[in-house]
Amino acid sequence: MMIEGDLLHTVTADHISDRRKRIGKTLVWGTALFGLALALWQFAFETGRVANGFDSWRPVLYAYMLWATALCASQVIVNGEKGKRTLFVLPAALFVISLVVFPLLFALYISFNDWNLASPNGPQPNGLDNVREMWNDAFYWNALKNMVYYVLAVSVEYIIAFALALLLNSQIRGRKFFRVVFLLPLMLSPVAVSWMIGKSMLEVRFGPISRLLREIGIEPSFFGSPEIARFMIMAMDAWTFIPFMMIMLLAGLQALPSEVIEASKVDGATGWQSFREVIFPLMLPVSVTAIVIRIIFKLKLADIIINVTSGGPGGATDSVTSFIFREYRDRSNVGYGTLLAIVYLILIIIFITMLLKIVSRWMERPA
Amino acid sequence: MKVELYNYIRNAQKMNRRQVLKGIAAAGATAMVPKLALGDGHSNVRAEILKIPGVGAGSPTDSDWQKVGEMCLGDTKKNVAAGEFEGVELTFMGLNNQNLHNFLFRGFLKPWEAYTGAKINWIDLAQADYNARLQQSIATGTVDFDIIEMGAPFEGDVLGKGMASEMPDWVKEQIDMDDYVDYLKEPVGTWDGKTYRVSIDGDCHTFSYRKDYFGEGSVTGKEVPTTWQEINQISKDLVGKEDPLTGLPAHGYLDPLKGWGGFGFYFLENRASAYAKHPDSPAWLFEPDTMKPMVNNPAWVQAIQDVMDLIEADAYPADQINADPGTTAFSQFLAGSGSMLMWWGDVGSSARTSDTSVVGDVVGFGVNPASDRVYNSQTGEWENKRNEAPNMAYIGWGVYVMATVDGDDKKKKAAWSAAAHLGGKDLSLWASAYPSGFQPYRNSHFQFEEWEEAGYDRAYIEDYLGSNADSYNHPNAAIEPRIPGIFQYYSVAEDELAKGYAGKYESAQETADAIAAAWEEITDQIGRDDQIAVYKASLGL
Repeated sequence: MMIEGDLLHTVTADHISDRRKRIGKTLVWGTALFGLALALWQFAFETGRVANGFDSWRPVLYAYMLWATALCASQVIVNGEKGKRTLFVLPAALFVISLVVFPLLFALYISFNDWNLASPNGPQPNGLDNVREMWNDAFYWNALKNMVYYVLAVSVEYIIAFALALLLNSQIRGRKFFRVVFLLPLMLSPVAVSWMIGKSMLEVRFGPISRLLREIGIEPSFFGSPEIARFMIMAMDAWTFIPFMMIMLLAGLQALPSEVIEASKVDGATGWQSFREVIFPLMLPVSVTAIVIRIIFKLKLADIIINVTSGGPGGATDSVTSFIFREYRDRSNVGYGTLLAIVYLILIIIFITMLLKIVSRWMERPA
Repeated sequence: MKVELYNYIRNAQKMNRRQVLKGIAAAGATAMVPKLALGDGHSNVRAEILKIPGVGAGSPTDSDWQKVGEMCLGDTKKNVAAGEFEGVELTFMGLNNQNLHNFLFRGFLKPWEAYTGAKINWIDLAQADYNARLQQSIATGTVDFDIIEMGAPFEGDVLGKGMASEMPDWVKEQIDMDDYVDYLKEPVGTWDGKTYRVSIDGDCHTFSYRKDYFGEGSVTGKEVPTTWQEINQISKDLVGKEDPLTGLPAHGYLDPLKGWGGFGFYFLENRASAYAKHPDSPAWLFEPDTMKPMVNNPAWVQAIQDVMDLIEADAYPADQINADPGTTAFSQFLAGSGSMLMWWGDVGSSARTSDTSVVGDVVGFGVNPASDRVYNSQTGEWENKRNEAPNMAYIGWGVYVMATVDGDDKKKKAAWSAAAHLGGKDLSLWASAYPSGFQPYRNSHFQFEEWEEAGYDRAYIEDYLGSNADSYNHPNAAIEPRIPGIFQYYSVAEDELAKGYAGKYESAQETADAIAAAWEEITDQIGRDDQIAVYKASLGL
């Protein structure tokens, strides 16, 4: 019987012998060593150091699963009831590690390999060659530059979204109807938007918008020049995602304490003063959250570009993701494509971390 | 036959219910004729299958495919005993485009399964997933299929790596390979002298033009151009003129200036083949001994320069820089913009069936235009002689058996028997004549009287399919290299061309040099020596 420790949550007494503890530990270490040995053996086979091995890495995966099972079982064998509590979390943790950490490590390994799927040689470690190639890859840097433009466009989207949120928060006729209508673009797939708007409505010959422009004497060209093409991509993406920011801001507006706003009115503040001095500062935390999430979405922009311009004209609309897509899908360049993706991931993490650091002081509502 | 072509003919012929009933009655009467009264077995079968379901009687269904498969089993029965493949299971990987391809194969092979006792499992893929799935299977060594429907451009990836099973002689006899159109014969479908492919399709780009743009009193006042030089001049001359059909600005040749997942490069090839494909050499994209790209030689640079000149002359419709081949064909040419185009068979067949098409009555066909001069890469000189080199873009689909069956004789024979059934001479005639996703590819498919007897419009068949037949059997047909990663080369070329067309390079030569540099990188990455060996094998050198 336990006489000390967590008595409140303990329902059974644990008398765990040293032998039992040894068995538990042996089970874990035994399966771990077995898995490790199997992995090393298979690695040696794959690299031609030993003559015999398995056709695939599947047996090593089974050894890992055996170790994971042994690890779970040993928790109970070694720790008794405390181990049972661990079992509530451990399988899930192992599952996450298997599906996130392993692939990430594998991606990291692949990104330092020369691996073109069409090559008969399979992945070949090539040191920093992929990094050097990236450094000299005008297409990648061009795509990164475009991403700066695309991210900057979020500021305009924010202004429009805030204006719409204010409108839908005011006492206008048909408010509920407009709330649903303004949300509709968000419900559309960007691929559908690409086809319906980019490839149909903006089709230069028979698209309705083109016809309208021609009627009023303007010769339409939506994707002919780099600047206009980039703007059109921004506009289509904005049309899809402004409702997302709008709905977040609207929720923020509805949560504002009405007394503060009413107090400002009693004090004689005009509508603009009330917005500038009261509503906007109070909305800063929601605004920052909406902008950060929107930027994360924006950094993944690809589908509209792939469908409408394929990155053209001359790379003017290319995003990093659409470029990586071509590198992967059309050119089967797995090693280099993975490196580009990893570098982009690191850039995103750095950028978002810095962004959050910078805006953290606005994230809390003023007292 | 491509679906659009079938629909076109059906609509063009405007068969009414009475005619359809007459056709059915005729078919019924034929069925009552004693079999001995009919000619040899093949001609009887060919005539009979062409009546299933009957031209104008609606799209064929699974039961029709099964009937055709049943009626075409004769050749299989000569080589395989009933129930011979009992217990054999095969996996077939193919496409599910437009509910065709694998859907037809299932129907065709159902009677074959019943007769032989084999069972087939199916892997259906969308076109967009096909390349990635195939490449991943090859790269990871997870070939989980025994038979594959595959385009010849991928032969380098599969045959070049020894992943396919060599065709037994009895299959060659069963499918009558001598009947193939010239360009589908060796070296296509072969590797190092061994044969691997059962062809089920043929592909080439043909020239479509607007008849109302040409001839006396027309907007151009000229005859239909037959060379790229004429096409370029006409395209420039048309600037500022009015389209006779739509009243909108007139345009000449429609080049797609935007990439299309690698497929867009075929359209620069159309221009370049006449300049670059010299009759003395099969090579026109790479030098066989070194894999050095030829894409920056004067011939290719001329092709790129032609396009840049037309951009400079403002000869294209607005936003052409954002026009891929789908746009040039279906949003421009068929909708009345532009007067000349190179494309696969779909354009001609869509001319009257597409809702947006306005050119159905004024479209004509021809082979890939020629050039007044041709570049001889071996001498490094231009030769002032007319050169024609139709572009066999994509070469068509085939059925291949994987080497996974080679260890099991029974399974191997079963797989080859299934492939031979799908590529059979009679069955392929039906696939050419009805919606299947496949074009004619045998000389026997161009016996127009068979089509006429089956109820097709002879004039249309002769005009439209004639341009295909002339291209297929052309002595200087430009055939793409069947090397690993060929679409990687095309894809990166599209990116560089897009930059060149957008004015990001100083000249056509600089653009071509950038493509060549990118191609060299791909060759080095895949392995130059391997590529040279594979390329030479694909050229039959």
